[in-house]
Amino acid sequence: MNHAIRADKFLLDADRTTWHDETLWFVREKRDRAVYAVPEFQELRELASQIKDHTLSRLDLYLQEFEAAAQANGVHVHWAADAAEHNAIILDLIRQQGATRIVKSKSMLTEECHLNPYLIQHGIEVVDTDLGERIIQFREEAPSHIVLPAIHLKKEDVGDTFHLHLGTEKGESDPQLLTEAARQHLRAKFLAGQVAISGVNFAVAETGGVVVCTNEGNADLGVNLAAVHIACMGIEKLIPRLTDLGVFTRLLARSATGQPVTTYTSHFTKPAAGKEMHIVIVDNGRTQQLGRPDFRASLKCIRCGACMNTCPVYRRSGGHSYDFTVPGPIGAILSPNIDMKKHRSLPFASTLCGSCTDVCPVKIDIHTQLYKWRQVLGEAGEIPASKKWSMKFMGRLLASARVYGLSGQFARQALRLLPHGLTHAASFNAWAVARELPEPPKQSFREWYQQQPKSVPQPQTPQVTV
Amino acid sequence: MSSASRNRILLAAQANKPAETPLPTVPDFGGEATAERFTAVLSSIGGTVVWLDGLGQLGSTLQQLFPEARNTASPLFDATVPIHADTPTHVLAEIDLAVLTGEIGVAENGAIWLPEANMLHRALPTITQHLALVLDHRRIVATMHQAYAQLPSTGSYGKFVAGPSKTADIEQSLVIGAHGARSLVVLLY
Ligand code: SF4
Repeated sequence: MNHAIRADKFLLDADRTTWHDETLWFVREKRDRAVYAVPEFQELRELASQIKDHTLSRLDLYLQEFEAAAQANGVHVHWAADAAEHNAIILDLIRQQGATRIVKSKSMLTEECHLNPYLIQHGIEVVDTDLGERIIQFREEAPSHIVLPAIHLKKEDVGDTFHLHLGTEKGESDPQLLTEAARQHLRAKFLAGQVAISGVNFAVAETGGVVVCTNEGNADLGVNLAAVHIACMGIEKLIPRLTDLGVFTRLLARSATGQPVTTYTSHFTKPAAGKEMHIVIVDNGRTQQLGRPDFRASLKCIRCGACMNTCPVYRRSGGHSYDFTVPGPIGAILSPNIDMKKHRSLPFASTLCGSCTDVCPVKIDIHTQLYKWRQVLGEAGEIPASKKWSMKFMGRLLASARVYGLSGQFARQALRLLPHGLTHAASFNAWAVARELPEPPKQSFREWYQQQPKSVPQPQTPQVTV
Repeated sequence: MSSASRNRILLAAQANKPAETPLPTVPDFGGEATAERFTAVLSSIGGTVVWLDGLGQLGSTLQQLFPEARNTASPLFDATVPIHADTPTHVLAEIDLAVLTGEIGVAENGAIWLPEANMLHRALPTITQHLALVLDHRRIVATMHQAYAQLPSTGSYGKFVAGPSKTADIEQSLVIGAHGARSLVVLLY
């Protein structure tokens, strides 16, 4: 099933689509206000971009520097080539503890690796502790956004879910009361957690430490109460120096939610006395992406979600329509690297308006990469037949002035004569499903132009000197 | 096998990385390092700033701010519950108010650097129902750049705390008090 078909399903509920669109635009506007308040914001983006470029250009060396520093801190470092290995390492660590109850704070990497179902299969209780993650975990759904995992749900949906799983009153939809219910429920889980798993926002090569940014404090609570902390990171999370954090912490929350910073910016460097800390460094296709010059910049992503909030296609099609851990514009670049066949429709889920590129805090050329993926997919024969033939046809038509003129005449006539039911038949003209076609003009611009009296003063031809 | 994967990842990263580009130096952008700005920003994200005329006022101010706090934890006065690195979880879970010393305040975002050495227990700042941080107003800097420049290292564990625990995961409605401390008061002196 491709993106357009899944998006169609989302669009069936027009009110909800409008609401989804507006909610995300509200976040985008908050982002703008936060960004305009920082005079040097554009300089910070440039610095962030250069720091990430530099890190990727020495990635093997920084990984080793990071590993050595972490080990010197008494942290155990593990390496996983793919999702299966990542999951196996974690299960192994949990079993070594004889643990059965795990608390997890938000990590898109563990989502990418499908860690939860794997652990549950092996008899481990896994509790996601970020409120949004917990909601969708109850509902057995995937996150629909990387920062706002439950952004597709209304408070009534959450009320129903909590009524079912937490015994809140039926019909209760007050966010304050629902959050309080979750607080009490999750507190019990934190207190009982034996092993805590967290994601990583930044890994500092110089110190060997990892930085985790949350608003709820769930990572800190989980990690500091459990005997063992397992932090999972993709190899692209590295930055060279502690001071580089100054750049990234100023960009991340402002770009993500329009906050000046997340409530907690926590630096985990050494385990507490008598406790253990493990870091699992994961590749899972990232080194392959590093080897694709056109697409390697996607590894600079700091997962702020700004490109999703601004994308007109994402806002109107919903995160689930992408059917990939990371949806939206950046997801559409990352996914074909993992499985080109499965995700071939995603680089087309964009208007190429460039808004994603404009907001990206690390200056990834997102829309250019989407355009490039389309070409790669075309060459690999992964474009759907209807698109391929209509593009070939349009190419011929636009290449010949005579054919173009004729077909314009024909279209203007046809639009006037044909009944609305036919010009708007969904099977012929998907474009007109939710739109009116423009009133056809009586003549084309070229015809009009040729009829103009020649005496009209012509604008001066600009002088070009070579 | 982990070590085989390690080599594979490192070799692939080495083979696939682009030509080396320089690491930029990050300038100090300056900015406003005032208590006024710090206060305005922290208030806008749900925190509260209270001025002390001196540390001697700490006890009476806390009494006024938290008349109901029964179980208190702090290295700064005679708190009701002694907390140390080995305090069991069920004792930590009963703390109503923790009063700790913050090291650096950041005016641009209202964050306060809290190193492990000032926490009594790593979980205390988040498990307590309410958190109060005592901060010398002369330790307020303008930006995160200046804050990191002042940190000799981040120690074993440490964090910037900017306001109370919060969430907006239910329909983007801001709710204060998710899992961590339900309120943050910064006591400036
Ligand atoms: S691509 Fe850029 S805007 Fe999108 S999530 Fe990543 S860092 Fe944010």
